[in-house]
Amino acid sequence: MPETHIDLPQGTLDLLILKTIKLQPLHGGAISERIQQISKEVLQVQQGSLYPALHRLERRGWIKARWGASENNRRAKYYELTRAGRKQLEAEQDSWRKLTTAVAQILETT
Amino acid sequence: MLNDLLFRLRSLFRRTQIEEEMGDELRFHFDHQVEKYVATGLSLQEAQRRARLTMGGEDKIKEDVREARGVSFVETLLQDLHYGARMLRKNPSFTIVAILTLALGMGATVAIFSVVDAVLLRPLPYRDPATLAVVWENSIRHSHPHNVVGPPNFVDWQRQNTVFESMAAMADTRANLTGAGDPEQVVVQNVTAGFFHVVGVNPVLGSGFTEENWKKGKDDVLILDYGFWKRRFGSDTHLIGKTIELNGKPQVIVGIAPKDFNLFIKDGTLTGSAPQMWAPFAVPESFGDRKEGFGRWLTVVARMKPGVSLAEAQSEMNIVASRLQQQYPDTNAHWGATVVSMREQLSGDLRPALVTLFCAVAFVLMIACANVSGLLLARAATREKEIAIRTAIGASRWRVARQLLTESLLLAVVGGALGLVLAIWGTNALLAASPKGLLGLTSVSIDMRLLSFAIAATLLSSLLFGFLPSYIAARSPIAETLKDETRGSSASGRRGFLRHALVIGQMGLALVLLAGSGLLIRSFIRLAGVNPGFETRNLLTFQVGLPRSKYAKDPAQVAFFNEFLARISRIPGVRNASMENYPPLTGLGAATGVHILGQPQVSKAEGPVSGVRVVGQDYLQTMGIPLLAGRTFTEAELKEARRVVIVNQAFVDKHLRGENPLGKRVVIYMRDEKVDEQNPSEIIGVCGSVRQMGPGEEAKPIAYWPMPELTYSRMTILVKTAGDPLSLVSTIRYELNQMDRELPMASIASMDQLLSDSISRSRFTMFVLGVFAVIALILTSVGIYGVIAYSVAQRTHEIGIRMALGAQRRNVLGLVLGQGTRLTLIGVGIGAVAALLLTRLMSSLLFGISATDPITFVAVIVMLAAVALLATFVPARHATRVSPVVALRYE
Repeated sequence: MPETHIDLPQGTLDLLILKTIKLQPLHGGAISERIQQISKEVLQVQQGSLYPALHRLERRGWIKARWGASENNRRAKYYELTRAGRKQLEAEQDSWRKLTTAVAQILETT
Repeated sequence: MLNDLLFRLRSLFRRTQIEEEMGDELRFHFDHQVEKYVATGLSLQEAQRRARLTMGGEDKIKEDVREARGVSFVETLLQDLHYGARMLRKNPSFTIVAILTLALGMGATVAIFSVVDAVLLRPLPYRDPATLAVVWENSIRHSHPHNVVGPPNFVDWQRQNTVFESMAAMADTRANLTGAGDPEQVVVQNVTAGFFHVVGVNPVLGSGFTEENWKKGKDDVLILDYGFWKRRFGSDTHLIGKTIELNGKPQVIVGIAPKDFNLFIKDGTLTGSAPQMWAPFAVPESFGDRKEGFGRWLTVVARMKPGVSLAEAQSEMNIVASRLQQQYPDTNAHWGATVVSMREQLSGDLRPALVTLFCAVAFVLMIACANVSGLLLARAATREKEIAIRTAIGASRWRVARQLLTESLLLAVVGGALGLVLAIWGTNALLAASPKGLLGLTSVSIDMRLLSFAIAATLLSSLLFGFLPSYIAARSPIAETLKDETRGSSASGRRGFLRHALVIGQMGLALVLLAGSGLLIRSFIRLAGVNPGFETRNLLTFQVGLPRSKYAKDPAQVAFFNEFLARISRIPGVRNASMENYPPLTGLGAATGVHILGQPQVSKAEGPVSGVRVVGQDYLQTMGIPLLAGRTFTEAELKEARRVVIVNQAFVDKHLRGENPLGKRVVIYMRDEKVDEQNPSEIIGVCGSVRQMGPGEEAKPIAYWPMPELTYSRMTILVKTAGDPLSLVSTIRYELNQMDRELPMASIASMDQLLSDSISRSRFTMFVLGVFAVIALILTSVGIYGVIAYSVAQRTHEIGIRMALGAQRRNVLGLVLGQGTRLTLIGVGIGAVAALLLTRLMSSLLFGISATDPITFVAVIVMLAAVALLATFVPARHATRVSPVVALRYE
């Protein structure tokens, strides 16, 4: 277990996954790497939370999965956004921004 | 939504493919991770170790993914069921005990419930039964609230009350049906005008009675009972309008009553049997006239006005009755009126027995549930390690709890199904075992409501006993459980307390049941041991009734019966033959006011009362009643009225205390008042007292008249035989046919049979409650055995240490027995208190003992304690055989 472990608030992981695969379909390993890289190693996504989240999103119809070939030509499962997923991402990004602004405002006063 | 559903379905039905894909996906991820670590310069081995660390438990991830895919509910249910079934198969003794326990509890509950439902709860087959009532005279002096009604009082009630919409009266008689087929004795219910309107029933066939039919001369019509129509006439639909002969008089059949209409009110019957036909009762002019010999013999049914409650009707009738008391003190002093709802009337005397049985069966069900719960708890404890491992490799606590719940549900369903089979069988057995006519039912069907009751009972009990173990199992801390299994974690402490509480509760319930059935058994032994006052052995009884059309005059009837008795006496194997106007031990009989000359004259209502029975030759010898003083009737006295009477000892004790009864003259008000007063009877003998009404009834004063004093056309013939009384029936029938081909022999029975029938209800209740008590005793001993055996297994380590440190076998025995004794004492104590409170409710079922009978209580307490200690002793002995070496290694 890594020492720096940040618990993501409920629902945040979904948002990060949707955002990460917005540009191109990615497999599970790549998704967790990408999140780690972009957050400069602050956010680490464990498989234990990643895969249930992916399957949950798939069930809701926001992403869909297909099997494809990986960089080194192995069979890997790629996830991409659906149209509903795209809308969901926009809506969630929006509410996220509102939330962080509001929280920041409260924290900065006093 | 649709998408979601399709997704779930696909996940469910293409499970293997999806499982495979999930495995591939995770394996890919793992390899990907390893490659990455290798790229940073780690050795392959180290890379794999790191990857495994970051990844965590693969099974846990898979489980969470399944959950996320939303298939888990159905899938885990299937999985749990599969697993549960396997676990149950692997522990057959546990499974069999648990399932049998449940099935017994469930089967008994449903069987009793279906009978209670049919008798107490199901709607009566009459229009608006809630407003239907039965009105009785209330004999305050003899505390007999359901007394048949005198016709003048019925007429005055009808005129004066304001609470009833309509009232009708009825009285049943026996008659000989002749004509088509063998002659047969039937019971005819004579009903006054408007009877069918009051109960709100119309014939299923035919038009029924018309207003005309209640006029004298137009009353030769009949409505037949459905069952009788089916049996005697093969449900012939062309019977309407046809004529049959009753007592030699032609009667036209105008209707067939509905199938379930068979209004039979036992408290008021004069024949003791349910009616087979209804005839209009064309009341004579003198019906409401008090001067014309007042007697009480009607049963009155009434329909309450809309909005009138039973209490209002009762208080109105109190006013009417007290007005009549003042107006006619001669006939009505000390007579009130009682209003009873029809439901209460029809089920009233069964209610206490059925309610007792129902409580008993609820107790059995509770004991069964407690037992299974205890079993599951003990098993959950032995599976602590298994559960801890399952939790450790990723099962959530809820998931574990669900697994255990599913298992108990599986038990409940199997047990419930078996229980239902048992219930159907039990209901039929109950009906078969119940005395004829007791329940008034021929069949009880298991209907939908009953089925839902069974299902509800199953589910409820499975939740009840499934929830506790799973709740506790789910809460035990994993690490501790894995570390230590014998030294008692906090969870097993909780569990221990619960198990003990369950056993104590079972003991308490079982004691209440044992006390109840012990009381019934003791009271039944008393009842069966009661000396009825006469010899029942080798005594044949049957009834013969003479039609008025052929034997109109009293002397003709007397002559017929005397001749018949003489003929029977000559049959080889017959010791004596006699007769009596009411069959003994059936609760039937007449009683009236008497006046002993020389004692101050008081009004009839205030004066002494005696039963009156009309008998034939050799009555005392035939019945085996001792003659205590004086003589029996002479031949002359049996041929014509000589104004003589024999009274019993109870009569002397009550009305002639300290006087010599012989030679005293008594007026018995049984015929016309003036005739009675002019013809007092001389007491010529005193005989032993007899419990004529049944062994549960006290012996009452009775005056025995020879038949010529008061002639009845229908008599019960009594034949004392040398051997089996029933073997002479055909010879006697031959003699009867020789005298009159058209006379049937009815209600043929041996007196032993009648005596046994008269206590059959007590025997039945005792038997059923006894069965429940035995079940309770077995279940409870299994329960306490389980707890102690488990506790011994848990303490093997401790016992081993004790023995290694020098404890003797008897110390160990004492240790375990002490635990069992403590539980037993607490359970028995609680049960004794509960039983003292509860058995009082069944005091109306008891005969000759109080509901707190100390002998019964001591006996059942000793019995339960002994069985409980025996159940403790087996595992205790086992504990003493523990070898310290083995015990210390036991972990």
